[in-house]
Formats: sequence, C-alpha cells, structure tokens
Amino acid sequence: MAQDYILEVRYLKKYFQAGRPGWFSRGDLFVHAVDDVDLQLKRGEVIALVGESGCGKSTLSLTLMGLEEATEGTILFEGRDITHASPKERKEIRQRIQMVFQDPYESLNPTQTIEEIVSEPLHVHGLATNPEERNDRVRRALEDSGLKPAEDYLHRFPHQLSGGQRQRVVIASALVLEPHLLLADEPVSMLDVSIRAEIINLLADLRQKRNISVIFITHDLGTVGYFADRVAVMYLGRIVEIGTMGEVLKDPQHPYTKALLSVIPVPNPRLRRKRIILQGETPNPIDLPKGCRFHPRCPVAIEACKLSDPPLQKVSDTHSAACLLLVR
Amino acid sequence: MAVQELELKPAVPSSPLLGFWNTFKKNRMAVVGLVMLVVIVFIAVFADALAPYDPKSYEGIQSGDVYNAPSAAHWFGTDDAGKDVLSSFMYGARISLIVGFFAAFISIFIGGLFGIVAGFFGGRVENFLMRFTDLMLVIPDLPLIVVIVALTRPNLLNIIFVIGLLGWTTTARIVRSQTLAVKSRKFVLRARAIGAGNWHIIANHILPLVMPILVVNAILVISLAILSESTLSFLGLGDPTAISWGQMLNFAFGRGAMSAGAWWALVVPGFGIVWVVLGLTLLGNGLEQVLNPRLEAHHLMPGRPTVQTEPVGDESASVEHKPTKRKESPLLLDVRNLSVNYVNEGVVAKAVQNVSFQLHEGELMGLVGESGCGKTTLMMALLRLLPAAGEIANGHVYYGGRDLAMLTEEEMADLRWKGISIIFQGAMNALNPVRTVGDQIREAISKHIPNYPPGTLEERVVELLELVGIAAEHKDHFPHQYSGGMRQRVMIAMALSCNPQIVIADEPTTALDVMIQAQILELLDNLRRKLGLAIIFVTHDLGVVAEMCDSVLVMYGGVTAEYADVDTIYNAPLHPYTQELLKAFPDLSKPERKLTSIPGYPPKLNELPPGCRFAPRCPQAFARCSVELPKLHELADAHFVSCHLVENGK
Repeated sequence: MAQDYILEVRYLKKYFQAGRPGWFSRGDLFVHAVDDVDLQLKRGEVIALVGESGCGKSTLSLTLMGLEEATEGTILFEGRDITHASPKERKEIRQRIQMVFQDPYESLNPTQTIEEIVSEPLHVHGLATNPEERNDRVRRALEDSGLKPAEDYLHRFPHQLSGGQRQRVVIASALVLEPHLLLADEPVSMLDVSIRAEIINLLADLRQKRNISVIFITHDLGTVGYFADRVAVMYLGRIVEIGTMGEVLKDPQHPYTKALLSVIPVPNPRLRRKRIILQGETPNPIDLPKGCRFHPRCPVAIEACKLSDPPLQKVSDTHSAACLLLVR
Repeated sequence: MAVQELELKPAVPSSPLLGFWNTFKKNRMAVVGLVMLVVIVFIAVFADALAPYDPKSYEGIQSGDVYNAPSAAHWFGTDDAGKDVLSSFMYGARISLIVGFFAAFISIFIGGLFGIVAGFFGGRVENFLMRFTDLMLVIPDLPLIVVIVALTRPNLLNIIFVIGLLGWTTTARIVRSQTLAVKSRKFVLRARAIGAGNWHIIANHILPLVMPILVVNAILVISLAILSESTLSFLGLGDPTAISWGQMLNFAFGRGAMSAGAWWALVVPGFGIVWVVLGLTLLGNGLEQVLNPRLEAHHLMPGRPTVQTEPVGDESASVEHKPTKRKESPLLLDVRNLSVNYVNEGVVAKAVQNVSFQLHEGELMGLVGESGCGKTTLMMALLRLLPAAGEIANGHVYYGGRDLAMLTEEEMADLRWKGISIIFQGAMNALNPVRTVGDQIREAISKHIPNYPPGTLEERVVELLELVGIAAEHKDHFPHQYSGGMRQRVMIAMALSCNPQIVIADEPTTALDVMIQAQILELLDNLRRKLGLAIIFVTHDLGVVAEMCDSVLVMYGGVTAEYADVDTIYNAPLHPYTQELLKAFPDLSKPERKLTSIPGYPPKLNELPPGCRFAPRCPQAFARCSVELPKLHELADAHFVSCHLVENGK
C-alpha cells in the first residue's frame, strides 16, 4: 500500500513559540499553526487545501518543503522519512518537491532575466552542466508552462511581463527540475479572474502530461473547482473535513465547509441564495477554544461542542469530517 | 494606483542598465554632479600634460616670486615657494582623489561585508558584528585618526588605511538594514525552496538588490574620505611628499598667505575640495532618486477642470444617452461621453473614451474589466483626482444639477466626500500605524466638515463604527490590533463620514479571504438599503457582481463593451468580451464545464488596436473588426453593446 503514496503525513505538528522566550514572558505560549494533520497523497493526484488565513495551510506547506522544521509527526515522501532530513538530503529532495508561490510580483528577483531565473535551479543542483542541455531544459520548461516561443522571453526581465506570464515563469522554474510533487500556495489569488483559468488549466495539463502530484492551497474553493481530485478543509491547524471534490461539494458535512461553500460567488444573479456568513475571524491560534475549535463561530453548535474535541470520522470510504453532530 | 502606473509605463527598455541611463539622464542634479566629477578626474589624470609647471622642480623660480599675484604666466598666482598654484592644484587633485577613492573602497568593502553578513545570518553573528559596529561608531573618528597617524609614519598608504578602516560604520548599518529588507522578500524564500545555499542566495539575490544603496553610499563615503584627508593634511599630518589640496592649505596657512594677502593660495585648493564634495553629493543624491523610485513624487492632481480637447463623439460615435428608466428611484449621477487622456511627454494615451452611464438612488452598479481597462481611471475622473498626467478630454458628469467636469477646484473639493466618496484600492493598509482608529476617523470628519460641533464628534465616531459593525470599545485601538477585514470596515466608515450619496468602492475585497469578503459585501449591501446609498463597485470578480449588483458596466480597453442590468449581462450577454469573461469564471454549479481563459492581454493604452479594442483576442472577430471601432448600440431594454455583431442582428 505504501508504494501508492507519493506523500504521507502522519500526526504532523508545527508549533511556534509565541514571542521571544525571556525572563518576563511565559515560556509555554505556543502558536498551534499545524496541529495533528494526517494526509495521504497518491502519485498524480491533486488535492486542494482550503481554509481562511491563519488556518495553518501555508505553514503546512512550508513544513512539507522543509523550510520549517516539524515539531512532531512524520513526513514520508516516496516512502522515505524526510521529517528531519539533513541539509544534504534536503537539497536532494528539493529536486523532487517544488513550490509555486502566491505572489508572482514578489517571488521573482527583479534583477534577473527569465533565463537566469529558470536556469537557476539547474545551477544550484549542478544539473545539466552542458550549456546545450541546459538551454534545452530551460526552453522546454518555459514552453511547457505556456511561454511560447521561449526565445521571446529568455532575455526579458520580470517587470516586462504581465502577472499571468510571471506566474508561468515561476511554474517553469519549478518544472525545470522535473519534480514529482508541486506545492502551489495560492498560485492564482493575486491574478485577474480572466487569467486564473489559464494557470489552473496549465497545472491540470502538467498533471496529465507529467503525472505530477499537486497540493493546491487556496482560501477560495471556487477557484480550484473541479481541477482537484480531493479537498481537505483546514480550520485552526487541523483538517476538519476531507473527501473527494464531488462529495465535499455536493454533500458537505462540517458546518465550516458548508459556510465556506455558501459564500463562493455564483456567476448567475438568478441563483442568489442565502449565504451562511460566519461572523468574526479565525481566532488566534495561541489560546485555542476548549472543545471543538470551531464552536465559537459555529452556527449550529450545541452545548456538547464546548466540551469535547471531535476527531475525524468516516462518512464514506473517501470522506471524513470532524463534527460532533455527525453522530446523530 | 497600480493600474494607472501600468497604463502609463512607456515602452520598456531592453535592459535595466539602459533603463537606468534613461532615468539618470533626466535627473539634472545627478548629471551636473557627474559632469563636475568628470572634469576633476580628467584634470587629475592628465595633470602631467595639463599643468603648465612641474610643482616639484624649482627651475626658473627667482627668490622674489613668493606669493605672486595671478598673472598671464601664473593664472592663479604662486605660492610661498614661488611655485605655480594652478599646477599644484592639478597635481593635488590627483592625491586627494586617490586617497578618497582607495580609502572609500576599503570602507565600502568592510562595511558591505559586515552589513550583508550581519543582516543575512542574523542571530549571534549579527549581534556580535553590530555591537562591534556600534563600538566603532561611538569612538570619535578624528582624534583617533590624528593619534594613529601621529604614531605611525605619515605616508600616503598609512593615511588611506587609517581613513578606510575607520569610515565603514555607517555603510555597515545601512547595508544591514537593506539586507534585512531584501531577505524577507518572497524570491529569497523561493530560492531556498529551489534548494539554494546561503552563499548562492547572497551572491545572486541579496547583493544585486543591495548594490544600488551601496553605490549611493560609496559616493558619499568618497567625499567624506577626501574631507578627512584634507583635514589631516591641514593639521600637518599629511604625507609631506604628496601635495594634496589639504597640504596646499596647510602650507599657505602656515607660511603667511593670510598676512601676505595671497588669497589665491587658500581659495584655489579650498575651491577644489568644495567642487569635488559638491559634485559627489549631487551625484549621490541624484543617484539615490534614480535608484530608489519611492522617492519620486507621485501625486494626484486635483483641480484640473475639463479641457474638452476633443469634439464629442469623434471616433466611437456616441449614442445620445437618454437617462434610462432602469429604476423607479431618482437619478443621482449621469455620466455622458466621458473621456480621459494621459499625456506623457507629448504622447497621448486614451485611457477612457466616451463612457456613459447613469446611477440611481440605492443602485449598486458593478464596473467590471481586467486590470488596465480604465476602470480606476474612470472613477478617478469622476472625482477629479487624476494623476498629474491625466486630463478629462471631454464629456460631462452631471450630479445634483451641476457638471462636475466644469466645477472649480474649490467647488469640487466641497463635493468630494460629502457628495461622492471613495474607498481606495488597498487603502486599508494605509492607516496611520501610530494613531488610534477612532482618532483617524475623527480627523477625517473634522477635515471635511471643519465646523462640526465638537461635542457630538465623539458620538459620530462611535455611530460610524457601529454602522460598519465594529464595537465602540475598539475605537481606541491601533490599526495593528485590527484584522484586514476590520481595517476595511474602518475605510468604509471613513468613506461614510460625511454622509455621501454615492460611494465608489475600488476592489474593496480583493485582498481578503472569501469569508471576510462575504462579510464586507453583506455590509455594503446592508448600508445601501439602510442609507439609500448608490454604490459603484469596481472589480474584476464577476461572481461578486452577480451576487449583489443591479446594473453592470463592462469596460475593455477604455471603452464601454457592454452596459445592461445584471440579469442581461449574465444570462443574455451580447458582447464577446462579456461572454469570454463569464466562461473564465469558475462556476461550481456546472461541474462538467471546462474553464477557458481569454488568450492574450488587454491592449496597452498607448498602442490601442485600430479597430475594435477587443478584436485581437475576440474569437468571433471578422474583417471589419480590425478596421472600424464599433458604435455603442442601444438595444431595446437599455442594453448597450459596442460590437459589430449586434448590427447584423446577432
């Protein structure tokens, strides 16, 4: 079974110390950024990680990338434990896990040409040292990312490209290493709606052509749409619902998922409907609410929710949710 | 105002160096400084050829030649030894510049290294290096230099090293803070994600971005080094064999030039020092302005009444817009054939052309289009807050029986906020961090209504906060204690502070999470019901528009593509741009549909296509589209479409 998974995350925790430890501050204050996350990803699968800001989805991705050290739990990548990999192992793993960042305006160095940006990963890993081979790989990555013909872009600078083109450059610089897993952290949220579709379609093509697995992090389920196979909804560092896209969209179980789905705008004024608008914002992850983490904002919370913290329960083979009301 | 900057950006130069030179050329201060320096460096380098006499030889000097006044033979007179002051000045330039440049090189190298290493690695390394820097900073430079030079043999090399080794502290501090700023940028994180090591990141990502500040700093350090050298020489601690300007001053001062009335012996080397330091300072300041675009002035230019340069309806023949009976409620704002041009160095960019629309009381209008389609420009033109290069070329904005395009600035200032107010894009990040939120709202009120009864001002602040759903107890909190959603609510409260009839909301929810976005939308919707507000909602998100707007104006390339009520736009759109935009929008209610994006990008406003603006990207374009700009056709039910297809009966 283990062979099937490209990534297995078990009981992953990432806590940050709140404030600087010092004489006058309490040493036991922690930000529970990621708290007991369990996740399996099959080869070639796309999973959407959804939640509001502060739910820990970005910390989770940085921890998976090894840019943050996990506090507890294990991360298995292609069957191998990479939770506490040495810097040397980490460098090797990075050839196979790559990341696409949210802000294409900030994530490109303004002083580098596109060619330098896309070939940089090859330099760093000492791959394709022969200039012809290197050019070839850079060109292929650019064209696979939809920047055709690559020659038109090689000698340009990021500021000469539009937002969508820049995001393609970011994707190309991740693809040039031929990764097996791509972590996309809000890759379209800074882009115009008209351009979002092309980036999503590009990722969908890549998955089909290269069998890349994708973790797509977003705060807006609407943008992922049916591109993802599965969806995991996070709230305050924990997965509260996980299932196939169809199941979660058609039959959401957790009240938080229901609310998130209800506020996705539907582009049809005839379908205006009652939205479940949660008041307030995600509470601060230092002082977690007792009981279910969601109960202070939950529209259907009952007395019992203040007392016990529900674990994920199976609704079907592929669908689980963490809510006390499920039992009934 | 990112949109407008994009629109205004001139043809981009092919390399940053060329672009740098182009901006540099325009900075008069930097050019003057550079010319001043080039002159002096030229003199120093070619002193052998230029100097009329050799300052080291005593050939042909008679005993009476001391302090000769300027003459044809000695333009600037002679000094205490009868030597030509002009020649000494030229050779002195050499020594002064050599000391300046080499000492500065040492300072910059040490300071740059310390700054980058401390800023990049942080922690103990930073603590150690920066405390050492602080220590060096509190030791008074000049006495220390005097002591060191006095103890060692005062030769040129020693002087260079002493000045260089003591002058790096400010550089280290400046470079460190710049490194910290660059280090936190996303592309550094991306480089890490690629697997790059520290030194790779420093060389490829930190250094290139620290370089500009280092260059500017280097120039100022050079001038400081030249000053230090002059001071030392003047104090008699210079290398007696190398005649620098300071040395000349020292000799002249010590050997009776003052009492002899030989002003030239003092003025000429003094002039040299002033000239170089002034040149370097000008160049440094100029470079800083060129390299740091944030220092460039970007201001909105209120108060430019309409210029009416174009006859109404020259190109996209304007349809006479009758106020349509879309709504029963009274008409508030009637915009007719409004056009806005940006004039940049004589080049006219037509940012908005002949746009018309009507807004009724309580109406919520969506203004939709991709970035760079002129949405923000149109809104700024309504408020007459265009950037300096923008002007209303023609058209009218009727509001309350007056044409806003014709008002004087005083009249317009009175209407802004009280009649029409705006929630700027991203403004929630512009709250003053050191003042409480309540204070800032109070200021907004009293600024626009100077004679507001002070007794009730406090009540009004609380009332406004409660109106936007913020409890009164948060009044005395600072912006950093507010979340993004709450800050946006504060911006809405400010926009409402003078009871406007119309509120323009420019992308008010773009940077917010979906749930917070829904809260803000709900708030705006409630407000317009409660207060009878008319709202213009500028966005590129069609979903939001469908959820709450009554009418929709779709803009493309500065012109109206389609304008109709919301149901028509979503269920019977006629303009291919509207249709394509809708196809690009994800709709979870239709799982089987594949998203399609519109290939290409909106046209740049300085290179608009000759025919229909959308023709190059339009899937249904035919021959006529690339030649002729379509008219804005009015269909039966107040549905406006600018497309040739409509003419042919679809």
